[in-house]
Amino acid sequence: MRPLLKFSEWQLALPLGLAFVALFLAPLMLLVGVSFFDDEKLTQPGVASWAKYYGDPFTYKVIADTLLLGVKTVCTTVLIGYPLALVYLDLPARWQRVLLFIIVMPLLLSVVVRTFAWIVVLGREGLVNQLLLSLGVISEPLRLLQTELGLVISLTQIEMPLMLLPLISVMSRLDPNLRDASAALGASRWRTLFTVIVPLSMPGLVAGCLLVFASSTTAFISQTVIGGVRLIYLPLVIWQQALIVFHWPQAAVASLSLVVSVLSVIAALSWLGRRSTGYVHG
Amino acid sequence: MQQQRQSSTVATARPAGRTLDVEDVTVRYGLALAVDGVSLSIEPGEVVALLGPSGCGKTTLLRVVAGFVRQAAGRVRVDGAPIDHLPANRRNVGIVFQNYALFPHMTVAENVAYGLRARGMKSADIEARVARFLGIVQLEGFRERLPRQLSGGQQQRVALARALAVEPSILLLDEPFAALDRNLRLDMQIEVKRLQRVLGLTTILVTHDQDEAMSVADRIAVMNQGRVEQFDTPLTIYDRPNTLFVNGFIGTTNLLGGHIAALADGHATVTLDAGATLQVAAPAGLASGAPVLLSVRPEQLTLSAEGGPQRWPIEPGLSLPLGSQLVHEARTSDGVFLKIVEPRRPVPPPTGRSYCALAPDARPSLFPRPT
Amino acid sequence: MTSLRSPTRRSLLAGTAALGGASLLPRVAFAKGSLIATTYPGTWEDAYRTVVMPALKKKDDIDLELAPLFAMDQVGKAKAARGAPPFDVFVLDPGPRIVALEGGLFEKFDGKKLTNLGKIPPSLVDDAGVCVGAQVVGIAYNPKKVPAPKGWKDLLVEPWVSRLGLTGFQTTFGTSSLIELSKQFGGSLTNVEPALAELKKVLPKVAAVGLPAAMPGLFQQGQCDVMYTNTQTVATLRGKGIDIAFVKPESGAIAFFTTMHIAKGTAELANAYKYLDLVVSKEIQEALTKPPYNFLPINKDAVLPPDLPMKSLDEMTGYVQHDWAKINPLRASWIEKFNKEMAK
Ligand SMILES: Nc1ncnc2c1ncn2[C@@H]1O[C@H](COP(=O)(O)OP(=O)(O)OP(=O)(O)O)[C@@H](O)[C@H]1O
Ligand SMILES: [Mg+2]
Repeated sequence: MRPLLKFSEWQLALPLGLAFVALFLAPLMLLVGVSFFDDEKLTQPGVASWAKYYGDPFTYKVIADTLLLGVKTVCTTVLIGYPLALVYLDLPARWQRVLLFIIVMPLLLSVVVRTFAWIVVLGREGLVNQLLLSLGVISEPLRLLQTELGLVISLTQIEMPLMLLPLISVMSRLDPNLRDASAALGASRWRTLFTVIVPLSMPGLVAGCLLVFASSTTAFISQTVIGGVRLIYLPLVIWQQALIVFHWPQAAVASLSLVVSVLSVIAALSWLGRRSTGYVHG
Repeated sequence: MQQQRQSSTVATARPAGRTLDVEDVTVRYGLALAVDGVSLSIEPGEVVALLGPSGCGKTTLLRVVAGFVRQAAGRVRVDGAPIDHLPANRRNVGIVFQNYALFPHMTVAENVAYGLRARGMKSADIEARVARFLGIVQLEGFRERLPRQLSGGQQQRVALARALAVEPSILLLDEPFAALDRNLRLDMQIEVKRLQRVLGLTTILVTHDQDEAMSVADRIAVMNQGRVEQFDTPLTIYDRPNTLFVNGFIGTTNLLGGHIAALADGHATVTLDAGATLQVAAPAGLASGAPVLLSVRPEQLTLSAEGGPQRWPIEPGLSLPLGSQLVHEARTSDGVFLKIVEPRRPVPPPTGRSYCALAPDARPSLFPRPT
Repeated sequence: MTSLRSPTRRSLLAGTAALGGASLLPRVAFAKGSLIATTYPGTWEDAYRTVVMPALKKKDDIDLELAPLFAMDQVGKAKAARGAPPFDVFVLDPGPRIVALEGGLFEKFDGKKLTNLGKIPPSLVDDAGVCVGAQVVGIAYNPKKVPAPKGWKDLLVEPWVSRLGLTGFQTTFGTSSLIELSKQFGGSLTNVEPALAELKKVLPKVAAVGLPAAMPGLFQQGQCDVMYTNTQTVATLRGKGIDIAFVKPESGAIAFFTTMHIAKGTAELANAYKYLDLVVSKEIQEALTKPPYNFLPINKDAVLPPDLPMKSLDEMTGYVQHDWAKINPLRASWIEKFNKEMAK
């Protein structure tokens, strides 16, 4: 006789799977569906929204700018975050806790607070300008707000925890003897860094890059409030189409463009990540 | 504790080796003393074993020599020249870690080649050197494997090959055989000893295992709580331990309580609480009437049926055959359990032996009794 | 001013409405004496919750439920509900009002049912609904930093242009201001090209181009010292101790009115009239002029707050007004145009 109820492992994952379908897949399918309407009243099926969007050269500039913003933010968070993670590893446990708190703090603040704090820092009469003016380094306030430079600076701080947490978690699991072994074999600190520590921390680095990239390319509030609306990224376009113009097909097309372009970069990154993870555990 | 430099046959066989002098080295972690004024003079090509309980500072001392830890005081010299100012990567010290610390993302060959690359050696030379050392540790067929695809013993051999490939002047081994099974451990001990001899390497071997220390080392430094208690040849340490700690740590021993009845030119007459009076060699610093402990190795005791002034009564217990030996348990009148070992003979030992005495060639050690 | 967080919630609500899904505001069966009215998230919601809600309970024993929704969300939801409106009363700005009107979403409004009808300027009541608040839009500047500008054209010359904060066509006040600016350079209600062309010329000098919601913050931080905005924002910022003054441009300030409408098919018609009658009453209108709300009243008896460019309600009804039936169809393309012209 076969038992009436027989749970196999995949059945245990069923609730999660259903939630995934209901909360993620279904909305995504709806988004795809909506994008294939020509008019904002959703009465005329067609591909006009796609055609209009991709027929406009401005679209490509916006997509490129958005991805580029992600790349720039990833670069700066890596350049600052990686050395910071190395410093973290060398600190005594007590200072590690302090540094970790400082690192995590941005996550505890709402994005609005963080963003407005950056207005106070980068503004025309903000901290940076006042400092530079009082030191006599500059005679006119620098324009930092509403520039891509200012935006990348603030995104670097805002996204830093997303880089550091995976990085630190992977790096602190590395055997500290590996560094010593490398030194004892005659390798300089740089050689040790690039041939031992960097390859072994790759999974953390890739995870961090992934998170920072996804988060910075979609950071609507930071992009528009710190960057202003002369810097046009996909989230602003989506917001305008969905909530100002109320042209949902156009908004859907822009949203799908954002999803696809960000996901493809992420897929490439995580493919790299998987290749490097193979060595480390096991 | 300054030791007399003593020459050994091994050392003189390979003049290429270097001397290693550790002078009054102290290491603190916060307020705790991990290493407390340790001095060791090691001859060229000599193997010194650091032996001691867990946490006594063995690894820390190795790390000072390798340059990973900066000592609070003291010096390390190689061939008489201080190396304290040199960073780890310029000390030319080979080290095999307690956990091997192989680079997990590199193949066996890449691990062995690592130090050679760091030295900028030509790749053809690297190739040859890697092949040679993989041959020495008998891992030719494993070049392309990753460390996690190797057994513990194989990993340990890779770690050894990696450390030796750069031809260090000094070799540090931190419990390298701990993870190996008994047979493999014996093989590797012999192998390491052979290589060390061929290459004339001055070697420090950290171990928990006194048998290993005895068989591999030319001299043993017994450490306790950051200090070296005794630094001597294995036989001296076994036969004439300086302290009660060394005495207890090396080999098995019986401790019998008593008093010094009389002292005369290096010899003491000891009255045992168990009921006998013995003549033994006495160390300096003991006064007449002082309470003492007499340490006697199990094989230095004999059993007999009749009593006498130098024999004390016992209550025989279990007798266990142990390979080529017979181990007897016995209890003295003052309640001390003794272990007595004698060679096993074809005929079973006579029964009724209820007295114990020192064997004729016994060299018991005398220590002040701790209060 | 709208809060920055709202887009998320707004998009959620908007999304379900657009897809014809069930309303997120299920119709709850209330005892007699209940009403569901929409309100804008933010200041409007605060004001109506604190001032109007208790007053309605007291006066007519009606339980008022407020649904905070932006104008276009209300329109979307009402459309999706097809004759069974999820709320009884709309509150709308001129643009969305036209959309809803074209969609036939309102009950025919009978002003005579309001006891306060006589206190409201006749132009502010029609057979679609009644005005409940006004916005006067002009130029705000920091008197400590720059001299007072005289008109829209001044915004594009020094010393103002390098201190100017711009916003686009996302809001009613932004759209109206850009239309007025355009008129100064030969444009018209339906032609904003001249404004964009002139702006583009001075763009490198402009201090900030931001989201409407971000402008008060930028002004507060001194990032810009001149902007176009409404009197309510000026009063709110002044209430925070910020140096800010309002100027009525030479060509006239812009006035537009926020209106309320009764949803077609409502079951609470009588209560809806009672609610609207209370909202336009002198007491409520006056209470809403006080800080921190700083609304502009539409009841003739209500005392106007100080520091306003007009002395009376009649003066305000004479200000520039725009026909949103003409603007609405153009706005999407203007927004795109603004993106492209202003993009770095
Ligand atoms: N990084 C460190 N920070 C603080 N204390 C340390 C550190 N490393 C070692 N110690 C302490 O120093 C003492 C000596 O440690 P060490 O590792 O040298 O012992 P060991 O003799 O090698 O022990 P084992 O046989 O267990 O390996 C121990 O008490 C240990 O707790
Ligand atoms: Mg150790």
